[in-house]
Amino acid sequence: MPNDTRTSPPISSSLEDYLEAIAEIIAENDHAHTKDIAEKLHVTMPSVTNALQTLYARDLIVYQPHMPVSLTARGAEQAAVIRHRHVAMKKFFQDVLKLDAQEADEAACRIEHVIGEKVMSRFIVLAKTIANREDCKPLRDFLNQTMPQLCVEDGVDLISLSELPIGRQGVVVHVDENLRALKKFADLGLVRGTLLQMEGHAPFGDLLRVKVMCSSLSLRRKDAAHIWLKQMS
Amino acid sequence: MKDLYRIALAGNPNCGKTTIFNALTGTRQHVGNYPGVTVERKCGSCRIGNVNIEIIDLPGIYSLSSSSPEEKVAIRELLKTPIDLVMNVVDAANLQRNLYLSTQLAELGVPMLLVFNMVDDARNRGFVFDLPKFEHYFGAPIVETVGSREEGIDQLKALTAKLLVGEAQKPAIIRYGEHIDLAINSLTTAVKDKRDFATQAIPPRYFAIKLLENDPEICALPAFAPLLPVAAELCERLAVRHGISSATLMADCRYGVIAGACREAITLNNEQRRLVSDSIDKVVTNRYVGLPIFLLIMLFVFAFTFICSEPLVEIVAFLLDRVSALIDSAWPAAALPYFKALVLEGIIGGVGGVLMFIPNILLLFLAIAFLEGTGYMARAAFVMDGFMHKFGLHGKSFIPMLLGFGCTVPAVMATRTIESERDRLTTILILPLMSCGARLPIYSLLIPIFFPLRMQAVTMWIIYIIGASLALGIAAILKATIFKGEDEVFVMELPPYRMPTMKSLLIHMGERTMVYLHKAGTIILGASIVLFFINTFPEKQILDHDYKALAETIDNSTTMSQEEKSLAQDELVSQHQAEMLNYSLAGRIGKKLAVPMRYAGFDWKASSALIGAFAAKELFVSQLAILHSVGQGEDAAQALRQKLRDSYNPLQAFCLMLFCLISIPCVGTVAVVYKETQSWKITIGQLGGLTTLAYVITTIVYQIGRALNIGLA
Repeated sequence: MPNDTRTSPPISSSLEDYLEAIAEIIAENDHAHTKDIAEKLHVTMPSVTNALQTLYARDLIVYQPHMPVSLTARGAEQAAVIRHRHVAMKKFFQDVLKLDAQEADEAACRIEHVIGEKVMSRFIVLAKTIANREDCKPLRDFLNQTMPQLCVEDGVDLISLSELPIGRQGVVVHVDENLRALKKFADLGLVRGTLLQMEGHAPFGDLLRVKVMCSSLSLRRKDAAHIWLKQMS
Repeated sequence: MKDLYRIALAGNPNCGKTTIFNALTGTRQHVGNYPGVTVERKCGSCRIGNVNIEIIDLPGIYSLSSSSPEEKVAIRELLKTPIDLVMNVVDAANLQRNLYLSTQLAELGVPMLLVFNMVDDARNRGFVFDLPKFEHYFGAPIVETVGSREEGIDQLKALTAKLLVGEAQKPAIIRYGEHIDLAINSLTTAVKDKRDFATQAIPPRYFAIKLLENDPEICALPAFAPLLPVAAELCERLAVRHGISSATLMADCRYGVIAGACREAITLNNEQRRLVSDSIDKVVTNRYVGLPIFLLIMLFVFAFTFICSEPLVEIVAFLLDRVSALIDSAWPAAALPYFKALVLEGIIGGVGGVLMFIPNILLLFLAIAFLEGTGYMARAAFVMDGFMHKFGLHGKSFIPMLLGFGCTVPAVMATRTIESERDRLTTILILPLMSCGARLPIYSLLIPIFFPLRMQAVTMWIIYIIGASLALGIAAILKATIFKGEDEVFVMELPPYRMPTMKSLLIHMGERTMVYLHKAGTIILGASIVLFFINTFPEKQILDHDYKALAETIDNSTTMSQEEKSLAQDELVSQHQAEMLNYSLAGRIGKKLAVPMRYAGFDWKASSALIGAFAAKELFVSQLAILHSVGQGEDAAQALRQKLRDSYNPLQAFCLMLFCLISIPCVGTVAVVYKETQSWKITIGQLGGLTTLAYVITTIVYQIGRALNIGLA
């Protein structure tokens, strides 16, 4: 068995959070008190004490009762790694997926602990590539345009045309690619942004009658199920 | 100036294009709301001042994307024929959807004229147009018209002439946004390199856009094969960028551009009126009362057709009788006796067979034209779809089936409105089972003889129901076997209600009737001549009785009154005819037929009469009359009834009707089915299939009836 003294056994994600918090507080105030840590992480003092003891046992911090906490050399190194990952993640969510700062921060916090070093390092390379390389410019343009639109329609209040109640209106947001004769429906005006109104159902139910622009179209329920709308009040 | 200018008339279905066409050319043609009225290529010519113009009326289409037969026809026409001006008729009340086609027509690079039709409708909806803005957008002048009242037609004509003779400008190039335009431009450059410009008048940009749309028709052109991967990649990239499917990329962009233009150039005033059309539809297509209303309307149509046509049929019959009598008396008996018989029996009989239908068909088509013209036909299809769908058909199949109760020939022709080929063929195959008007004489002869009064209406109803249910059952079977497959996409526009003008109704009625006369009339006439020959030849030389001598005996008889004499004479003539017919080809075939037909309750006389029924169903009755040695006329009808009562029992009579209902469609149907399907396999298959089915069902009914002792008395 290889005996690599440099790699300590992996610490739990909550301990990583503690280490990260300690590093941040030290960066701001030069020293970290138990109280500051508890405030930052929204936990109780005894839990902080508990965690600090574990970190101390792993030789990551210098910890003496009633004294500010400081990092050991090893602790500082690990905290830097965690910090670096978090920043890279946050940047990715902010720059590539176009989330706002807070959303990006939260998402980064959640994700950084669950993926291993290997995945993380490759991920960071990808993020940097997209952000910096010249030949990725069209991709960046595309992302700039598409991502914000995706954020707006988060799919929660979409309704399929087949479910639209009679008399109600909706704007087409998305048409499934597996709609048969997609092009035909598009030619008739069933494209993104068109306002539709459900006018009624035929006897025995299968046909729907929908007002598209200024004309009435009738189409089958199963085809209508592929057309997604945002309902208008 | 050129000798002849060519204009292509293009527009969406139901935009009033045909009305404009009629107004310009004076060519009388149908104006309708029902989708797919103009399927064939239609041309007209007109002269404005000293400018000669040929106008090609393209079928009504929503897009130039070869996704339907109409669109394919239109594209081919536009690409192949050199055109001086595209006249794009646009429903001003529904600009957004209509201008979608205009964006595509503009790309043809041919000078364009936009006709904002039905502006009265648009005003009712409260639209106010900024025409100069639209003109600038499309780079094409605009004329406002109201086709049905011929408003604005003079301005249209004047402008057309000016554009044709003067230097008309090409339409503006429509921009779809930075990224799309870049892609189009790069493809345009590539297309320029690939194409031989001498042969094409259409600009490369048009092809570039079509390649980007992945239009099957254009992409299939061999010259563009090397460009396909490039186009596909560009399209894919743009689709991803816009976050939509690559198939609808251009559609999305076009509608986007149009929405922008409409926002700028249309304002709404406050004069919006409540639309009558919507209120009518609230009732007519209602889930619960829609169906009963539809059935009522159909009942009314049938009542109108059959009741109103009755006196007309009588007039036709009277006139035919007179003509026949006139020829008979004017033609010397000695001169060409066979030819005289051919003219009297074959030709006049045949023409009569065709003409007798005319009143029925005229009125039926008038009613149908009215329903189409108002826009109700589409509603009927909408209302009936749920029911028809259970049998694998769809709403549009219902109208031909309904027409089938009148005459199968126009019904088969009406299946053209069904887009899906499989649905269309299924409908055509089952149509002969809808009991047509020509079978009515058979029922109305047999039912009163064999069924008690209270049962008569019910029996008639049962026959019709059997036909219709067999039709639906077979449709379901066909769709589950031969024409198996996922049902095709069904999208249908329900156009707003409009009052058709009387003129357009009459034009339509006339047109359809001419088609019937042309397609079915000639065949019925031909068939009755053939029938005359097989009824007459070979001629029996040595007769059983010396009819001449017998006739003289009657004449010289002193015991008989004058009345008795003529009655006896008539009977003698019929006996003579029967003996001749017995010996003729028809009689011989009938006797051979009678061997298997015995099991279905037919004797040789009824079997021979079936040969007549193949020519035209109503001939069954007259053949039966001849074979039973009775003449034709009032007294004879009574005599025929008596004879039939003696020869058959009610079960046999029912089987006769059943067989005539299901069996061989008439010659007219066979001919029109072949013309519409262009397939002998289907035509012969239908002929054989229905005949076999008729035999099997009739035999089963007859044998069961006999075994259970039903209707033998």
